[in-house]
Amino acid sequence: MTSIIRRSYVLLRVYPGMRKKLILHDLKSYRPTTALRCISVTSAHLSKDNSNKKNEGSKAVSFYGFAQVRSKEKKTYLDVLRMFVDRDIHRRGHVEFIYAAMKHMEEFGVEKDLEVYKNLINVLPKGKFIPENTIQAEFMHYPKQQQCAIDVLEQMENNGVIPDREMQDILLNIFGKLGFPLRKYWRMMYWMPKFKNASPWPLPEVLPNDSLELAKLAIERITSIDLLRKITIFQAKDLEDSIDDTWIVSGMSIGQKKLLNKHASTAPIYVEGPFRLWLKNLTINYFILRGDPVPKPDLPPPDDDDVSKIELPFWKTKKSVVPTEDETAIHEQEDGTIFAVCATGTSSRDSLLSWIRFLQKENDILANIPIIFKPKSPLGDVVLANNKSDKPKDEGVENKVNKD
Amino acid sequence: MYFRIPRMVATVTRCEHVGIQVRRFWEQDRKSGYPRVAAKSSSEKRNDLWHIRNGFRILGDEFKLFKREVIEHLESDPLLIYRKDEIDLAWRFNGDKKSLDQWFVTADSDYEEGYSNCSLQLTKSGRGLFSGYLDKRVPKTGNIKKAGYCNINTLRARKSFKREGYYDWHPYNHLVMRVRGDGRSYMLNISTAGYFDITWNDVYHYALYTRGGPYWQYVKIPFSKFFMASKGRIQDHQEPLPLHNVVSFGITAADKVTGPFNLEIDYIGLLFDPSHKEECAYEMYKTDDYIAGY
Repeated sequence: MTSIIRRSYVLLRVYPGMRKKLILHDLKSYRPTTALRCISVTSAHLSKDNSNKKNEGSKAVSFYGFAQVRSKEKKTYLDVLRMFVDRDIHRRGHVEFIYAAMKHMEEFGVEKDLEVYKNLINVLPKGKFIPENTIQAEFMHYPKQQQCAIDVLEQMENNGVIPDREMQDILLNIFGKLGFPLRKYWRMMYWMPKFKNASPWPLPEVLPNDSLELAKLAIERITSIDLLRKITIFQAKDLEDSIDDTWIVSGMSIGQKKLLNKHASTAPIYVEGPFRLWLKNLTINYFILRGDPVPKPDLPPPDDDDVSKIELPFWKTKKSVVPTEDETAIHEQEDGTIFAVCATGTSSRDSLLSWIRFLQKENDILANIPIIFKPKSPLGDVVLANNKSDKPKDEGVENKVNKD
Repeated sequence: MYFRIPRMVATVTRCEHVGIQVRRFWEQDRKSGYPRVAAKSSSEKRNDLWHIRNGFRILGDEFKLFKREVIEHLESDPLLIYRKDEIDLAWRFNGDKKSLDQWFVTADSDYEEGYSNCSLQLTKSGRGLFSGYLDKRVPKTGNIKKAGYCNINTLRARKSFKREGYYDWHPYNHLVMRVRGDGRSYMLNISTAGYFDITWNDVYHYALYTRGGPYWQYVKIPFSKFFMASKGRIQDHQEPLPLHNVVSFGITAADKVTGPFNLEIDYIGLLFDPSHKEECAYEMYKTDDYIAGY
């Protein structure tokens, strides 16, 4: 008899309804006791008392409101969340609170912070929303709360935040394994890491704040087509008669130097730009040094059916080896030959002039070639970034850089 | 094959683009109630004579197409050997204005669901330039959660007399492109809409990462990497891209960054690479109940 009772008890334990009780039991030990809560409340009061000294005034956070918070940062955001959780045992209006909190994330600069999202989900009470049977599970037990959690996960997805295992534990404690947010979580964990590193031009997770570092990233990315590229950083003040004191990040490869030396000194070359390059959500303006396109010999395609000129590999001569593309070929495009790329701190014409002077030190031929500064480009003038002041009004102003 | 239940969830949970939340399997309309782009542009009034003349012109073109189809059928001499690494061009911009007729351009502002706008033009060198301004702002109508997309799409594959047709890409296993971007990422969409309503929104996607800069960029993406989504939601049950059933191809700019974008396109081609054996890059084993395919 006892064995039958025991078996049914085992069956009941397998049943999801029992699990809820177990989880609740476990959670009781984690839930802050009333005594703890008293302390947290009193400490808040104490801090208010201390504000007489006017030292802690900036730290005082008004309860429940994100709009009233003065210093918008991660710490204060988490404070508001904690205050809501500590307010009362029932956490009334937590769904509305989470939606309100989600709207304020960008304002506080925490929209890409995984820890904040975990804290946000943690606002939902544990145990209550776990379905007790399959019917409840299928009909979306506590739909508002589940949809709310899905929306938080969706916002994470849109901001490119990949959740971790702790997030899964939190969601399991709130909704049980049959909850819809869990399915969303598992889908995210399947797909998001697949595309996390898919880009062939990876960028750091947090882009540097410094514009010089960004420019280095940009020029490296642009010139990644040629592995022999050399990126140099010039300081304009090193030149005698430069007006702007700024940096110039210049990228030029050995192949491009060869091309420039081959360039006829009568044909002009152009400094064009600014063009726009996006690095995640930031833009960098860059300029190019371009020559006119070189007409390529238009050879007829080889006739595969012609059997009169079959070459035997035994008598392979040097001549019969298929010419491989040399390192210069990639720079000779149908809309122009690209000699160098740069980004400068001010994007002004003076800094470009300094750039040409720096290039001239390494490439003597530049002194003889007429250089034209063009604010527009045949590469597509739509690509042109809006530049306010330093864009010359008239098009194609000729600026000959002489050796003097 | 056509009983893919995930679509239901997709329809129920997704409400940012459809004004009314639809809670049913059955789809009434191929475009889920959105107006057609063609109908939108030809709003100007024409006289009857113009319509008669235009009708006859279209009829002539259709007969020409039909003639070619009949000849092709009678010859019955299809291409059997697809040589390695030979690119067959599907769409190309070569300075001809007619190459733009194959495409239509949409943005969220066309349906009054956002503020983005875009265009597809030819550049001076005759390439296609897909450019515009992406705007993440959400109009305050209350039924839209997110905004900010620009899209170009080819017209539907068709046979003569405006019958629906399909592109047969099954001999190929790679998509190749020659593009010049601005550092943004774009989304490539291959639609494989079938006859039944449940397949109308089947679109296979993959990301197009652009380098940016003055250099052209060759892109070669295996078809096995494309993943299936319905109305923008990735489906749990992935299947290899049905290459014999391709309806249209599109490029979307919606990378959640407000600002101008531009993507120059030279060609979009197809390629057979015998060394690539993969059919589908995503897991095909059966997963637990309640996790996938709900």
